Amino acid sequence: MRVKLLYNTDIGSVRRVLTNNGVAFDADVLLDHVVYMFEIEDCSRVTTHQLIRHRVVSYDQESQRFSAATREGVVTPPSVSSNEVAYKAYDEALKSVYSAYEKMVAAGVPKEDARYILPSAIKTKLVMTLSARSLMHMIWQRTALQAQWEIRELATTLHGLAKEATPELWTKILER
Amino acid sequence: MRVSLVWSSPSPERTIAVAMRRCFSTKTIEEIESELEQKGPDYWKYLLTKALQDKSLDVLEHYTLTLLLEEAHDPDVGRIARGFPYLRVTRLGHDVWLLSLNARTLVEIWRSTEEKGFAEQVVSELNAKGVGSLFNEVAFGVRANAG
Repeated sequence: MRVKLLYNTDIGSVRRVLTNNGVAFDADVLLDHVVYMFEIEDCSRVTTHQLIRHRVVSYDQESQRFSAATREGVVTPPSVSSNEVAYKAYDEALKSVYSAYEKMVAAGVPKEDARYILPSAIKTKLVMTLSARSLMHMIWQRTALQAQWEIRELATTLHGLAKEATPELWTKILER
Repeated sequence: MRVSLVWSSPSPERTIAVAMRRCFSTKTIEEIESELEQKGPDYWKYLLTKALQDKSLDVLEHYTLTLLLEEAHDPDVGRIARGFPYLRVTRLGHDVWLLSLNARTLVEIWRSTEEKGFAEQVVSELNAKGVGSLFNEVAFGVRANAG
């Protein structure tokens, strides 16, 4: 999985407005007005199904209606890859699914219909834009130990990037 | 009400184009960005026009703005906030507010009957600051130097 921060609100600009209006630096105020746009590549659709349950976020995701699926583009969970029996079953199932997908597309079935057979393990790419408040909620929910490994990895990366870009905001949040 | 721009997404039209290409391309983000740089503003304008024609306004949500509202009275700000739930307002003082919204919401405000005047003020401020001139032309039919 690869995550890139495409842009974020310049906190300095917002801070100047607060100062000019006699408002002290307040992380709570900034949470609603600081925005981040991320691009995420090569996470599974299992994870993006979980991700889009966070609703006050703007998402645009690679469409399977237009792009062809490939056998290489799948995520394999460590619990499967580390288990010989499980991995064999996983691999055989994927081969069968992709073979059927390719046959359908070759037979003239539109990609948007052939995709019904594709697995949730398929890798995807998306951009998402959200406020610091939405991001904070996402990070709190998805870095919890109960969260699944892949979205936990994603949330941890998002947190790292946001903290690096806007350290004063995230330090204040963590201090609360 | 006085509206002034505090911050906006860098290169709004290109940001929207990135989101649009992300939907239809298998390329990496670096490849998409490089393609968009190569093709330039005419291509961004083509994509933006297509998004608006197809009513694919979701891609506009990646262009975000933060505004300072002064001499903004509670009923006016309250009406805008209630009418358009995806914008965020914070009171900074008496009649002074910080407002953040995305370009989709701005388009929706522009298209509304009641609040179009507010959207016009925002677009005028954006043009005065040289922000999103291509977007303002395509989405609102307002040219930066219209006079």
